[in-house]
Amino acid sequence: MAIPSIFIVSDNYSVLPEFCCGAKTLADSVTAIVFGDETAAKAAANCSADKIIFCPVAEEGAPEDYASAIAAEIKAVPNAIVLVNNSIRGHLLAGKISVYLDTAVISGANNLSVEEDKFICSRMVYGGTAQRKEIFTKPYGIVTIAGGIFDVAPAGGETTDIRAIEGAPEGSIPRISRNEKKEGAVNLAAAKRIIDIGRGLAAEEDLDMCRKLAKLLDAEVGCSRPIAENNKWMPKACYLGITGVQVKPDLIVTLGLSGQVQHIGGINKSKVIIAINKDKAAPIFKNADFGLVGDMYKIVPALIDKLS
Amino acid sequence: MKIIACCKIVPNEEEISILPNRELSMTGASLKISQYDLNALETGKQLASETNGTMTALSIGPAASLANSKIRKDILSRGADELSLVPDDSDECFDSLQTAKAIAGALKLMEYDVVICGAGSSDLYAQEVGIQAGTLLGIPVMNNITGIKVLSESTLLVERTLENGVEALEIPLPAVLSVSSEINIPAVPSMRDIMKAGKKPVNELTIEAKTDASTQTLEQLAPAAQDRRQEIIEGDGEEAVSALVQFLKKEGF
Repeated sequence: MAIPSIFIVSDNYSVLPEFCCGAKTLADSVTAIVFGDETAAKAAANCSADKIIFCPVAEEGAPEDYASAIAAEIKAVPNAIVLVNNSIRGHLLAGKISVYLDTAVISGANNLSVEEDKFICSRMVYGGTAQRKEIFTKPYGIVTIAGGIFDVAPAGGETTDIRAIEGAPEGSIPRISRNEKKEGAVNLAAAKRIIDIGRGLAAEEDLDMCRKLAKLLDAEVGCSRPIAENNKWMPKACYLGITGVQVKPDLIVTLGLSGQVQHIGGINKSKVIIAINKDKAAPIFKNADFGLVGDMYKIVPALIDKLS
Repeated sequence: MKIIACCKIVPNEEEISILPNRELSMTGASLKISQYDLNALETGKQLASETNGTMTALSIGPAASLANSKIRKDILSRGADELSLVPDDSDECFDSLQTAKAIAGALKLMEYDVVICGAGSSDLYAQEVGIQAGTLLGIPVMNNITGIKVLSESTLLVERTLENGVEALEIPLPAVLSVSSEINIPAVPSMRDIMKAGKKPVNELTIEAKTDASTQTLEQLAPAAQDRRQEIIEGDGEEAVSALVQFLKKEGF
């Protein structure tokens, strides 16, 4: 059974095919709302949506200014689920749209399904202590999701039903400047292999050693929250966990990571977990397929040697 | 400036126990200020000091949580001049919109220039309540603020860090801002702060924002233990490393 309608709202074109394709398995009709001009919308036409509505954001404007116009488009159908990508702008859009549709937001869902006409969302709560299953009790529901939750290969059906949004942007906040970050953002959610660094790392320079190992294993580098937030040794976008990025790679190698519940909740869908930690009692070993109880400063260089 | 910092009282998630049927038991868990709201309180304190203003802390939740005198003191020791509480026992499983409506209801009774919220609550982490409350009131809202500069009595210049860049925005007041945990490192209250906290005023507000829940929880269970092989070797010598390499090879990496 499927629900009638899903709207996808995304300020990031790269997740559209996955979201639309996943939504097609849950709903009869999928409408993608994208931020860009007609040319950009046409370029995204093979995302598997039935319809695309584009919001032509002006140079001085922002996607969030379209919140009420988007809500008006959604209200044109009697009930619908709105999936919003889990970005900072996505959260702002979700919160605003939810008020206009008078419904709550379920944030960071990691599983969506339709059972007996009910749209069921699952997500981690209490920092990874529990998984909560919820349904919406109102005609509309808003869910934010990250990439990687749908196990689907985009079918690539081309839609020709593309049009501009009817409403106009409003409530714009003056922007004084915008600096794009130069370095490409690492897409940990899509990574097949990850080196995951914890507080066992003694100094920022030692990241080099971890990066070397990552390179040999063709892996991306992620970390625990303290490494990103307290030490600021890695960007915030790199920390794994319930409040960070949730991943499901084929392989994750944790280095000096204790394995707090918040962190485990973000990595426990990995196929194989390897742990290296001095502390035999660290909870990470209960969640690992293979573990070495020992000094990462001896193990990692030796491992690099052997793999080189 | 008149500043309001919102803070939620939550069970310490590290002290929640898991029953044999995987349900959660909160009975042994102490209460704490939601972690990210410490950043909101710190932001409010700094902004109040910079503008010779005042900060009121606002918390909404079950009456029993709000009655906890240790928590009240904890909040007030972090720079708030007073604490406003909205006890609400109508539904302990507030969804994001219900909470936002309660906050908006309380804000209608209060005077403010800026309302500061944390990034999200450490129990449910919806990251939406501040945005929803501001939208309900029809005032500017912005999330993931990583820096604030006062331009005038009615305008702030804020830095907002996005996944792929940083923007500077001019926010007209009154407004609701959700701050990122990156914005500051919350100060640990001194003994003097704690002593002073006991003498600060606490008031209870009654609001008329009863709303229906938009969501219903079907189930809440600790994640089933993942079946992990737990092949653990003690040692960091040659043999241990070889065993790890063997394991990687066997798994096809």
